[in-house]
Amino acid sequence: MALTIGSAVPSETGTSVLARARERASLIPDLLIEAQRIANTVTNGWHGRRRRGNGDTFWQFRPYDQGESMTRIDWRRSARDDSVYVRDQEWEAAHTVWIWADSSPSMLFKSEAAQVSKQSRALVLALAMTEILAKSGERVGWPGITNALSSRVAAERIAAELMVATPDDDLAFPPLANIRRRSELIVISDFLEPIDTTLGRINEAAEQGIHGSLIHVVDPAEERFPYSGRTEFTDPESGNKLTFGRAETLADEYATLFKARRDALAQQCKRLGWNYIVHHSDNLASTALVALHVRLSGEALS
Amino acid sequence: MSLLGLTFTSPLILFSLLSLPLIWWLLRLTPPRPKQEVFPPTPILEEIGQREETPAQSPWWLTLLRLLMAALVIGALAEPVWNAQDKSITGTGPVLIVLDNGWAAGPNWQERAATAEKLLSQAADDSRPTALIFSTDGAKADVTTVRAQQLLEVVKAAQPQPLPVDYTALAERIRESSVGFDTLVWLSSGLAHAGADEFVEAIDGLNIPQIVYYAPATNNLQVLTQINNAPEALVARVERPDIEGSNTGTATAFDQKGRSIASSSFEFTGEDRAAEIRFVLPVELRNEITRIAIDNNGQAGAVQLLDERFRRRRVGLVSGGKADQAQPLLSPLYYISRALNPFSEVREARDANVAQAVPQLIEENVSTMVLADIGTLPDATLEQLEKWVDSGGMLVRFAGPRLASAPDDTLVPVELRRGGRSLGGTLTWGTPQPLTKFEVNSPFEGITVPEDVEVTRQVLAEPDIDLIEKTWASLADGTPLVTASQRGQGWIVLFHVTADASWSNLPLSGVFVDMLRRIVAVSNGAIAADKTRSTTAASAGPAVEEETESVALPPLSMIDGFGSLTAPATTVRPLQIGAQSTIQISADNPPGTYGTSDAYVAINLFSEPADLSLIDSAKLPASTQKGSYQTESDFELKSWLLAAAILLLALDCLAVLWMAGALRRIPQFAAVLLVGGLTIAVAVAIPLHRAQAQESTGAAAPAAAIDFEDTLRTRLAYVITGDAQLDSLSKKGLTGLTNFIASRTSLEPGQPVGVDISKDELAFYPLLYWPITTMGTVPDDKTMARVDAFMKSGGSVLFDTRDQLQGGFGSRRISSETQRLREILLSLDIPPLEPVPDDHVLTRAFYLLSVFPGRYLEGKLWVETSEAREADAVDRPTRQGDGVSSILITSNDMAGAWAIEADGSASLPVVPPNPTQRTYAYRTGVNIVMYTLTGNYKSDQVHIPALLERLGQ
Repeated sequence: MALTIGSAVPSETGTSVLARARERASLIPDLLIEAQRIANTVTNGWHGRRRRGNGDTFWQFRPYDQGESMTRIDWRRSARDDSVYVRDQEWEAAHTVWIWADSSPSMLFKSEAAQVSKQSRALVLALAMTEILAKSGERVGWPGITNALSSRVAAERIAAELMVATPDDDLAFPPLANIRRRSELIVISDFLEPIDTTLGRINEAAEQGIHGSLIHVVDPAEERFPYSGRTEFTDPESGNKLTFGRAETLADEYATLFKARRDALAQQCKRLGWNYIVHHSDNLASTALVALHVRLSGEALS
Repeated sequence: MSLLGLTFTSPLILFSLLSLPLIWWLLRLTPPRPKQEVFPPTPILEEIGQREETPAQSPWWLTLLRLLMAALVIGALAEPVWNAQDKSITGTGPVLIVLDNGWAAGPNWQERAATAEKLLSQAADDSRPTALIFSTDGAKADVTTVRAQQLLEVVKAAQPQPLPVDYTALAERIRESSVGFDTLVWLSSGLAHAGADEFVEAIDGLNIPQIVYYAPATNNLQVLTQINNAPEALVARVERPDIEGSNTGTATAFDQKGRSIASSSFEFTGEDRAAEIRFVLPVELRNEITRIAIDNNGQAGAVQLLDERFRRRRVGLVSGGKADQAQPLLSPLYYISRALNPFSEVREARDANVAQAVPQLIEENVSTMVLADIGTLPDATLEQLEKWVDSGGMLVRFAGPRLASAPDDTLVPVELRRGGRSLGGTLTWGTPQPLTKFEVNSPFEGITVPEDVEVTRQVLAEPDIDLIEKTWASLADGTPLVTASQRGQGWIVLFHVTADASWSNLPLSGVFVDMLRRIVAVSNGAIAADKTRSTTAASAGPAVEEETESVALPPLSMIDGFGSLTAPATTVRPLQIGAQSTIQISADNPPGTYGTSDAYVAINLFSEPADLSLIDSAKLPASTQKGSYQTESDFELKSWLLAAAILLLALDCLAVLWMAGALRRIPQFAAVLLVGGLTIAVAVAIPLHRAQAQESTGAAAPAAAIDFEDTLRTRLAYVITGDAQLDSLSKKGLTGLTNFIASRTSLEPGQPVGVDISKDELAFYPLLYWPITTMGTVPDDKTMARVDAFMKSGGSVLFDTRDQLQGGFGSRRISSETQRLREILLSLDIPPLEPVPDDHVLTRAFYLLSVFPGRYLEGKLWVETSEAREADAVDRPTRQGDGVSSILITSNDMAGAWAIEADGSASLPVVPPNPTQRTYAYRTGVNIVMYTLTGNYKSDQVHIPALLERLGQ
C-alpha cells in the first residue's frame, strides 16, 4: 500500500518519450488539417488538398474560360475534340501547426492510479502529434523553442531542441509572438493557473486569429479526490501547504470547483470555435490523439 | 482477591482500569501525523479554505493496541498470581503439623511435602513455634515445639515410609502435650488408618482454634492385600478405599531379577472395595514370581512380595522298594516323580536306608514327603517325621504290601485294617472298584472323576466316626481311596493303593497328576530350613510361628514409600524370628525380604484383607477448614504481563513507523535476503545429496550381489594363496571337479570361486580347497580365527601340501610345504588326525574307494580321528560317527589331477602316467564333496536293510 496517493516525479526529457510518442503516432493515420481552415499561403507542401491550386500533381481538365491565360491551355488534350481544355494542378499547401506542452512543476505529478505523470503524458501527446503532422507534410513548431519546421523528422528535432532548451517554469501558456494568423495552436496542459489568467490568454490568441486546441491533462487523483483522513496537501508550484483533518469531507466541494473550472474552459473554447479535449492520464495516450485527430481533420477516423 | 485461580496481590490498583475510557478519549484526540500528499490542484483546495480542523481518529486497531497496553500495565502492577494458595494458617500461637508419611503417601508425596514446607515457611514468617509429627512416628512422635525453620529441613529430608499408620499413639501424644496449639494442620492421606477415630476425638478435645485438614484425591489408590497361589492361577486380592475411584487397573508380576513375567487386569464391580486379580500361568512361571505390583500406583501398598511360601514345593520321595531298580516301570517312585516333576522339585532319597533318607530330606527343606509303601520306621526316624509333620510338613503315604502288613503305625490319617483286600481276583467276591467321588471339601474338589480308574487291591480303613471327614476320595463302594488328617501344622495323606500300577491303574491316569498337584499345593509352606529356620506357618502371612530358638534374618531388599524395590536402608534391623509371636512391621522391620537370596521371608504391608476406608470428614470438628494439596506452585504473572506490554509497545512503534512510511523498503529487502538464503541453501544441499547418493549406490551394490548369488548355489571354493599360477591351477582343478560332479551326481555346483580368507565371508561354502605354498606369509591370527570359526561352524577345509614326491604329509621327511602347513595349523584348534581308515565314510560316500589319489598316488588322506573305534566293535560295514571332519589333509595335489583346460583336456599329467589314476582322483573329489555335504548319511544308509527288516517289511 502506497503511503501517499500522489507523488511528484522527475521531469521526462523529450528524447526519452520520443519512442513512446512514435509508438502512439504509428497507430494514427495521417492527419490532414481540414481544408477550410488552411490559409491560402504560398507555402508549398507536398500533400494534396483535394482542390485546385498550386502544385505539381495533375488534378483535372476543365473547359477553358474566357479571359484565362492562353498558356494554361493543354493543347494535347484540346486536340482530341472541339473544346479547349485547361489543365488544373492539385493544390499542395502546408499548414502550420504549433504544439506546446506545459512543463510547469504541477505537471510533474503522478498518482497511484495513473501510469505516468501528467508531464510525461503531455510530452508524449505533443511529440506524437508532431510526428503525425510532420508525416502529413505540415509545418510543425514549438512556440518559444523552434520555428515552424517542414520536415518529416520534425518530431525528432523538436525533441532534441526540448532537451537543450531551458524550460521556463513560469510559462503557463505558449508565447504567441511568432505565431501567424490562421495557424493552428495545440496547447497541452493541466490548466491549473488561475482560471481568469488562462481565459485571458486564450482570448488573446483568438484575437490574433489563431485557431487552437486545448488538451486538458488530468490526473485521476485530481478528478476523483480519493483522499481521506488527516492530510497535508502541498502545492508543487508554490510550495504552499494545506492541512485538513478530514480530507474526505472536501471531496464534494472540490469536485464542484474542479468541474466549474473545466466548464469555464470548455465554454470559452466553444465560443471561440476552439477544440477542448479532456484527457485523463490513466487512459491511453491514443484516446487523446484520436480525439484531436478527429477534431483537426474534421472527419471521423475510419 | 481471587478470581478463577487468579489472585491479585494489590487489587486496588485494578481500579485504575476505570481510567481506560479516559485514555481512549485521549488517544482519539491526539491526531496522528498527517499524510503528506503532493497535490497540484491545491489552489482549488485553498479556495475551499481552512475549515474544521478536527483531527481524524487514529486507526481503531492502534487505539485498541494502546488501550491493551495500558490495561496490561495496570494488571501487572496489581501483581496477579495464578493458582495462589491462600495463607492457610492464622493466629499467632504454636502450630502443630501432623504429616501422614505412611504407606499411602507415595503418589502425592511431592505435593504433601511442598504443602508442609509452605505451611512451615508461613509459620516461620510469623515466628510461630511449630511442632511437626509424622504419622509413622507412633509413640516416638515429638510434640515439643521448635522454630519452624528447623523443621523445614526435616520435611525436605522426609520420605514416605512403607509402614502402616497408627494414629492411636499420636492421639495419646497430643493429649499429653502441654502446649496450647493455636493451629493444627493435618496433612492426611485421606485414609482412615488405625486409630484415626481416636485421633479425631483427641484433636476435638483439645479445642484448637484453627484446624486445617488436608486430604488428597484417593480415587487411584489401590492396594494388594492377599496372595493365594490357587491351583489354577495366582490370585491376589486388590482393595481400594474409595468406592468412587477408578474401577479398573492392571498389575504386573516380576521375577527375582525384576523382569516382568505377566500382566493382568482387575475390575471392581459396583461399590465393592475388593476385587481379585488372577495371573493364569503355568506353575513353573508362577513359581518364578517374587513380586506383584499394581501398575502406576506409586505407593507401598500396591506391592506384594512372594517368598518360598508361594513357590513350588520341594518334594522328597522315599520308597520301601528295592533301591536297585533295574526295571524303572516297576518302581513306585517312577510314577510319583513323573507326576510331580512338572510343578515341583523332586528330591529322591540318596540313601536306600530310610533312617538315613528321611533326615536327609528334612535337611533339604522338602515341604512334602512321599513315603511309598513303607511299613515300619525306626523310632528315631518316626520321631523326626512326627516333629516335621507337626511343624507343617505334608506327609503323603502310599499303601503297599509292607504298609498293609506293618503293625501299628501312628503316621496314618485313619486307623487301618491290617492285610488289605483284593478285588476281582480269582478268589475274591467283588469286582474291581472304580473311583467315583472326590469329596467336596477336599483339595481334590473339582477334578473330573475318571471312568477308567479301577482299584483291584487296597488297604481298608477301620470304620470310624470321623472317617468321612478324613476322606478325600472314595471308591464306588464307599471305601476311602485317599484319606487325610491334619497333625500339628502339617498333614498326613494316605493313598490306600500303591504308587505303582500293581494295585490299581490310578498311577497311570492323568488324574493322578492332578491329585498330587493339589496335595502339594496344600503343603503350603517351606519347612524349617536349618540355616535360616525361617519357619512359617501353613497360613500365609507375616505371623511366624514361635520356635524355641530365635533367629535373626538380615534384611535383603526393601519396598520404599513409592512401592519400588530398593536396597535396605542402614536403619533396618534384622528380622527376629521366634523371639516374638508375630512380626510387627515397624521402622526397624519395614516390608521387604529378609534372609539370603536363596531363602528369605517376605514381609508384606498387607497379608490379610486390609478393609480400607476413608476418613469421614463429617466426623472432624465442625470448625475444621479443608485445604487441598497444591498441585502446582503458584505462578506470578506480573513479569509476563509487563513483558507483553513491552512487546505491544514495540508493535505500536512499528505500526507508527509503518504508517509514516519508514518500512516501505524493508519487506523488499527481507524478501531478497530470504530468497537469497534459500537459494544458497538449496544450491549447497543438492550437490551434497547427490554425492551421498552416488557413494551409497556405488559401494553397496556389487558386494551384496555376490553374496546373494553365493547363497543360492552350492559352490566349491579355493583359497587364494597369492601365487597366481597356483591359484589358476586351483580354479582349473575345481572347475574340472565341478564338471565331473555335475555329470555324475545329482549335485550341480556353481562355478568355483576363489576366496580371500582374510576378507570374504566363508559361511557359504561347504568345502574350502587350500593348496599350501611356501610363497607369501602365514595368515595372521585374525584370519586364522576366521578359518577356525568356519571349521567350527560346519565347514571343511581340504589342505593340499602337493609334496608327495618330497615325502608328503605324515611321513618322516618334512618338506617345506608340510612345514608351512604346520605353521598354519599351529593357530588352529585341530583334533587328533588319522589317515582315512578302511571303514570311514569317505571310502563310501559316493564311490567305493580304497585310495585317494591326486596327481600323485601314494599320499594318504588325513582326517579327524573318529572316537569309539574300540567300543563300537560290532561288525558293521561302515564306522558310526557323527559330523564331518572339519579338516582333510592330502599331499597328492588333487587340483593338479582335476585341472582341465578350456577345451576339456587335462592340464597336468598324473604321476605315474596312468589314466585310471585321474579317474580315481575325480572319484576321490566326488567322495570328499559328498562327504562334506551329507556327513554320515551314507554310514546310516548301509543299515537300511537291517532297519527294514526290523520294521517287518
